[in-house]
Amino acid sequence: MAKKNTDLIMHDKDIRAVKGKARIGEIAAKTLIYIFLTVMAVIVLFPFYWMIISSLKSLEEYRLTVPTFWPKTFHFDNYANAFSTANLATLFKNTVIVGVISTILSLVITVLSAFAFARLEFKGKNVLFAGLLATMMIPGELFTITNYATVSQLGWKSTYTVLIVPFLVSVFYIYLLRQNFLQVPNELYLAAKVDGTKDLKYLWKVMIPLSLPTLISITILKMMGAWNSYIWPRLVANDLAHRLITNGLRNAFQDTSGNTDYPVQMAAVAIVSFPLFLVFLFLRKYIMKGVSRSGIKG
Amino acid sequence: MKVVLQNLTKIFPSRNKKSKEEVVAVNDFDFEIPDGKLVGLLGPSGCGKSTTLYMISGLQKPTSGRIFFGEDDVTDLPPEKRGIGLVFQNYALYPHMTVKQNILFPLQNLKGADKMTKEDMIKQAYEAAKLVQIDNLMDRKPNELSGGQQQRVAIARALVKMPRVLLLDEPLSNLDARLRLQTREEIRRIQRETKITTVFVTHDQEEAMSISDVIVVMKLGVVQQIGAPQDVYDSPENLFVAKFLGTPPINVFTGRVEAEKLYIGDAAVLDVPGVKDSEKVFVGVRPEGFIINENGPLECRIFGVDVMGRDVSVVSTHEASLNPTVRSIIDADNRPAPGAETVRFLLKPHKVFLFDGETEKRIYF
Amino acid sequence: MNAVKDVKVKNKSKSPGGSKNPIVRSFDKWKAWIYLLPAIILLLIFTVWPIINTLRMSMLVNYNPMKAVGGATFKFGFENFTKVVSYPKFKQVLGTTMLLCVTTVPISTMLALIISVCLNAIKPFKRFLQTIFFLPYVTNSIAIGMVFAAMFNIVGSFLGSSNEAIQSAGIINNMLGFFTGNKDFYINWINAGSSYTSNIIVMIIYIVWNALPFKILILLGGLQSVNKQYYEAAKVDGTSRVRTFWRITVPMLSPMIAYVVITGFIGGFKEYSSIVGIFGDSMGPAGDAGRLNTMVGFIYDAIDSNAGRASAAALILFGIILIVTLINLWVSKKRVHY
Repeated sequence: MAKKNTDLIMHDKDIRAVKGKARIGEIAAKTLIYIFLTVMAVIVLFPFYWMIISSLKSLEEYRLTVPTFWPKTFHFDNYANAFSTANLATLFKNTVIVGVISTILSLVITVLSAFAFARLEFKGKNVLFAGLLATMMIPGELFTITNYATVSQLGWKSTYTVLIVPFLVSVFYIYLLRQNFLQVPNELYLAAKVDGTKDLKYLWKVMIPLSLPTLISITILKMMGAWNSYIWPRLVANDLAHRLITNGLRNAFQDTSGNTDYPVQMAAVAIVSFPLFLVFLFLRKYIMKGVSRSGIKG
Repeated sequence: MKVVLQNLTKIFPSRNKKSKEEVVAVNDFDFEIPDGKLVGLLGPSGCGKSTTLYMISGLQKPTSGRIFFGEDDVTDLPPEKRGIGLVFQNYALYPHMTVKQNILFPLQNLKGADKMTKEDMIKQAYEAAKLVQIDNLMDRKPNELSGGQQQRVAIARALVKMPRVLLLDEPLSNLDARLRLQTREEIRRIQRETKITTVFVTHDQEEAMSISDVIVVMKLGVVQQIGAPQDVYDSPENLFVAKFLGTPPINVFTGRVEAEKLYIGDAAVLDVPGVKDSEKVFVGVRPEGFIINENGPLECRIFGVDVMGRDVSVVSTHEASLNPTVRSIIDADNRPAPGAETVRFLLKPHKVFLFDGETEKRIYF
Repeated sequence: MNAVKDVKVKNKSKSPGGSKNPIVRSFDKWKAWIYLLPAIILLLIFTVWPIINTLRMSMLVNYNPMKAVGGATFKFGFENFTKVVSYPKFKQVLGTTMLLCVTTVPISTMLALIISVCLNAIKPFKRFLQTIFFLPYVTNSIAIGMVFAAMFNIVGSFLGSSNEAIQSAGIINNMLGFFTGNKDFYINWINAGSSYTSNIIVMIIYIVWNALPFKILILLGGLQSVNKQYYEAAKVDGTSRVRTFWRITVPMLSPMIAYVVITGFIGGFKEYSSIVGIFGDSMGPAGDAGRLNTMVGFIYDAIDSNAGRASAAALILFGIILIVTLINLWVSKKRVHY
């Protein structure tokens, strides 16, 4: 016992030595962490880098046995080439039309529904809401089969309508916004009632400004959804007049291996990716907020 | 504008699906609020005072009964047609609007003949702001204001439409003690200046007593007593009202009446002429109703003496007391001798109230 | 004025709970339904009806909506399900889907966990690195799939097996050559004649790359909400970093880990567009179309020709997702620490 006690007593020198060791360990660990994170970051970024430099190379340079990491000459004409090859102008136009209209309509529907669920009292409210939430469990493919038949029978195939209408209601967005609306104290609604504010004015003047961050998140995710959607558009509106950007890109460059003109293809990919980067750069906060609560992609 | 409540009743359907029991929030409330007075609705939580306020505002519909503003029956009118101003407990200021926008908001809803020009609206908003002395804060957002300032903004927003009736729901409960005192005076001043009939709800009896012209004491949806604060304090009509008003609270003993004499324990403490014999009565004695006297009939064991300056508070115990201690307020000059173990009291008859042992109703003598 | 009435309480009920928070009874009760009308109509057509109809179609043998309009009738029974299950192609797509699931979910979760813990341990450049790691989320999985294809692709005819014929073996092969020291080293990743294994490896790399940002976002968010005091307490006790990771970080993060694993599996079973991104609509390398087809691809292939069988496959997919989710929840109930 007595010996153990003396062991526990450290001298200043020992303490300094231990501290020094700890500090060296700390620095070594930090260095390793930074090295690891840097390597991972490079791996994550590499495809983007490769896309951009490839899009600026000449075909000859791209096909060199030993690839170059920086273009010898810059071929911006690849972009012009890509634009015409893939009909990007039409695709952009279609996607913007579908994206904007569906976002606006979807926001209106979501706001009205969320308001009803958050603020109004009616019979069967809770049952209805629970039912809506339950549909979120079902994979979308299950709906697609019938919806494909439905829109075919309605004669909606190859129209903008078919790209917009079936996806206007998102139970998840209604849920998200309802939660947001519920955080607004009920007294604000009562105060507005006392002043004779109509429900719609109250929504517009109070609820919407107070829920703006969520609405922005929904808008961005919805727009990104239109930009990235592939399966449904290919199924129901695969004609040139209504084709959306992702589908068009894939269609224009069917070959992914073999002797394709990669620089032009990469230029097209870069053009399609660029708006997303802009959105990411300026609205990252809203995307991350929306995503962390949803787990849905676009 | 006088406000008349006629047999006002509000029954909430049961929330619990299993028991069909309904909740009577307000039961048969009959009352006339005189023009230009400040009325306090007072009671413990769940007594129906807030429900009454919401029914006057029109946010809730009464199950039965009528509400009149002056001669107009407003029972079926929506809130905005009644000409009321309502201040909520948490103020309910719109967080994204400035003070000015908040005060302007009610005016912007006016339609038709009431519609105002922009200049008039701003003028009126500034007048309301000046009245509550926040005209220097007009461009701030609510979260940049203190609790007291937010309260004033809420009052200004309620007043800006020149309401016929001003309603305040627990206006002071979110303020700290110092601000509460200050705001209390402020509400009194504003009410006097504007002469608007004002109803406010509170669970704090001191608050209600200090500023109301009339107080209404409620319990479980039933009005217990209505009157000027001093009248209610001096002459409670039942044990609940007696216990609810006054700090320190009234001392309650069990006693009996025999041959027109009131007994607490074995001691005959007071003559009660005209009171029938009774095995059990409740005796309420206000703390200021005790006089120390060597020959006093009521003997209590001293527990401690709290010095309060001018007065002392003698804390003692008695077997028949329903409170853990008997608290009496005594002039400092007459305080019991230090070290004394017991004290004897005479009772001031007008500070003693008798209540029936069953119904808890006042027995007058 | 003292109009105190001698009233009895009709009901002996205690305090009326609703008095504090009044429910505004909307004076017009139908108002709520007007607000909900557009949502309800669309949901009835595009969500509720499909659920019913998919169940119906799955029970009608070889159902085809176009033929049904033409007046054809279909036998009622479970044959769609038995047909789908016995179909060799179905076994193949199920195998590929499962293989991608059980590889990518653990790899991406583990990697995301390590990156998150590292990000949480540093201060300088933290936000900058965080931004970089989130970047792949905001991409188009078809478009970036094409970039990955380009990186793995061999340009030139290599089937002649003479190395001179290869103009470029692709950047990945070049790097492998650089690190192995053998300049002529190459693997046929995705071109004609490539092996199933190398195809799957490319898919795993791409899917993990794609899945990292969401997982890092969730796990880092979880880490930041863990009370720092636990770590300080561990430090005082002289707990090693590795031990701290396993005994504090992982248990504290277990709800978020469970969440990313469950969503990862759900997403994994619905894998489709990442394969289209790399291999195109053919879902396989040149000369072997459909080799990498998945459950979802299988459903879409049948949608036009045999809606009954597609419905049955969709319901099977739903069942698998449900079972996997339930297993995950059951495991996490045992393992999630709070």
